[in-house]
Amino acid sequence: MISEAFIPAVTSLGSLALTLGIIIYFVSKKFYVEEDPMVTIINGILPGVNCGACAYPSCNQFAEELVRTKDTSMTCPVGGPDLAAKLGESLGIEMAEPKPITCSVICQGNSENARQSAEYVGIQDCWAAMQAFAGPKQCRYSCLGLGSCIAWCDFNAMRIENGLIVIDKDLCTGCGACVPACPTGVLVMQEKKAERIFIACNSHDRGADTKRACDAGCTACQKCVKVCPEEAIVIENFVARIIQEKCTACGKCLEVCPSKVNCIVLKKDMIKSKQVS
Amino acid sequence: MKTFSIGGIHPPESKLTASKAVEKMPVPSEIVVSMSQHLGKPAKPLVKVGDEVKKGQRIGEADGFISAHIHASTSGKVKSVKSVPHPGGNYSLSVTITTDGEDTWAEGLNTAPIDWKGLSKESIIEKIKDAGIVGMGGAGFPSSVKLSPPPDKTIDTIILNGAECEPFLTADHRVMVESAVEVIKGLEIITSLFAGKAKPYIGIEANKPDAIEAMSKAAKGTGIEIVTLETKYPQGAEKQLINAITGRTIEEGQLPFDKGCLVHNIGTAVAIYDAVCCNRPLVERVLTVSGMEITSARNIRAVIGTRFSDIAAFCGDMTEKTNQVITGGPMMGRSQFTLEVPITKTTSGILFINNAGLENSRERTCIRCGKCIDACPQSLEPWLLGNEAQFRRFDEAEIYGLANCTECGSCTFVCPSKRELVHWIKYAKALVNNRKQRKTA
Repeated sequence: MISEAFIPAVTSLGSLALTLGIIIYFVSKKFYVEEDPMVTIINGILPGVNCGACAYPSCNQFAEELVRTKDTSMTCPVGGPDLAAKLGESLGIEMAEPKPITCSVICQGNSENARQSAEYVGIQDCWAAMQAFAGPKQCRYSCLGLGSCIAWCDFNAMRIENGLIVIDKDLCTGCGACVPACPTGVLVMQEKKAERIFIACNSHDRGADTKRACDAGCTACQKCVKVCPEEAIVIENFVARIIQEKCTACGKCLEVCPSKVNCIVLKKDMIKSKQVS
Repeated sequence: MKTFSIGGIHPPESKLTASKAVEKMPVPSEIVVSMSQHLGKPAKPLVKVGDEVKKGQRIGEADGFISAHIHASTSGKVKSVKSVPHPGGNYSLSVTITTDGEDTWAEGLNTAPIDWKGLSKESIIEKIKDAGIVGMGGAGFPSSVKLSPPPDKTIDTIILNGAECEPFLTADHRVMVESAVEVIKGLEIITSLFAGKAKPYIGIEANKPDAIEAMSKAAKGTGIEIVTLETKYPQGAEKQLINAITGRTIEEGQLPFDKGCLVHNIGTAVAIYDAVCCNRPLVERVLTVSGMEITSARNIRAVIGTRFSDIAAFCGDMTEKTNQVITGGPMMGRSQFTLEVPITKTTSGILFINNAGLENSRERTCIRCGKCIDACPQSLEPWLLGNEAQFRRFDEAEIYGLANCTECGSCTFVCPSKRELVHWIKYAKALVNNRKQRKTA
């Protein structure tokens, strides 16, 4: 009795499976897209986070483009020199070495340095706070400290500490995804150097206003400009800027900066290079 | 009694100052005239530090089509031209003037009233443009632009907005009671620009019987129809007012003139009368100073550029319990962080309140009760827009009508979970704009 009940079910489903299987076989032959096996190999080497730092929407598209054009100038900033070497090896070409880049915060307005203008109670997001007098801090060019950029970082390199965004430079790959997420523009991409000096202030207010709002503000006093032997410091729109190509990181500007908390910062970056690895 | 068809709420009216006559506030020793008191690009300042200015002198030149001229509100000397906090929630270039106390008009201004009937249409619009008149209800759209619609659109309805649906505010109410004749004349000037083809209306909420009476008396024999509207928020919003009076609905992306309508504020009508008949540019306005925490709430007539701190002092100072100062009404207004901000052409009121739960008001999750959908006058789903904004799905938010939201605040008012729906929607709008700018750049 039971086996009789099975027969129509098994035969109908079985024949259906068979027919569909045959159709699928022919369709897959007919519409077969030939893919360079190299793309799969390159894709395996790439980091696979689809961060977009290479200007392609995904790692896969970067791999396809690289295999198609064999353009040696295409670089993956996230992978660095190691990856460039591996890619070159697989493709049999000499890849250009990417310059290691890292993200820097050009603001030191944490809760000790920067003064508050009001208590902000709305939505805890920088873009929402921007609509109310550019956030709770007096300086309207500062890091708002609400962390809208954190969600954009694929590498967990960002966190808020003391009302200021902090970047873990070991984790930061310099992909640049966070830059457009900042409403005040305190995140900038800089080339990694053994010793890198930059001005950590974004305030375009006049000196007196900057000083009133923050202890670590650049007042555009020109002292660092005068002392710099390489003429690598310029004042633009009431804030100093270091021309990184000229800077030799001699550190003379660090000594003369008169602001209470030095607005000029020296950072030592670890640079991975081909030889070391 | 007429009203709009969809949504709406009934917040407590709290019209503390409804029976108080407008008092003229003396000109303070220093005023700050902002260069962006209107929609569109800020005006270009025409004066520099140290210049002597006279009352009514043009100190800001309109920059572009949607922009308006700015005038000195009193005579004095320019102290500085720099970026200062603006009540709209940002910073703007402003001219600070140290006043000389004489309040002397520039030559050729503030003349005796003339008969406007002899003037041509072009010269009336030119006068309105020269006087820097903008919509005084809140948005600040330049009136001369509004009064010259594209030639292919026919205007058949002109509405003067006397609804004043925001709680606390009574400035338009008092203007209607005290300057009924000027309001009617202003409306007649607007109507004359459309060669008698348009029907003028004045919409007033039913909670202002004295204003309805005064306007009906003044409008006798002029063909102006006074429409009594139900007391419901947001009755005074442009789209809702058109819907209430004419029954027409402004669709997404349309402007009132697409449906043959033109809406002006009561204050704007008076300003147009002043500009056309008396050559008086827009240098002062009536506003309500109210709230539970100001010693003597009142309606005042202050020069544009008066700082909030001066106004608070004039009204007997605020109490120590004040923890929020708002420009405009409580529904759509903005909190301020400093009393150094000045009033602008669009400041209809200042409120000093003690918002007891402010410190620990925290958003909770949406419970899908649907109250915001019932309240929304634009038939949107605010909870959905709020969620899409919160999770950064801006494309979806745009599909669900983000641009159609008028930010009236009805949804936030009714939300039992205290979600900041309007703030989320504003946040989404800001990010969508930012993304568009980045794409075009």
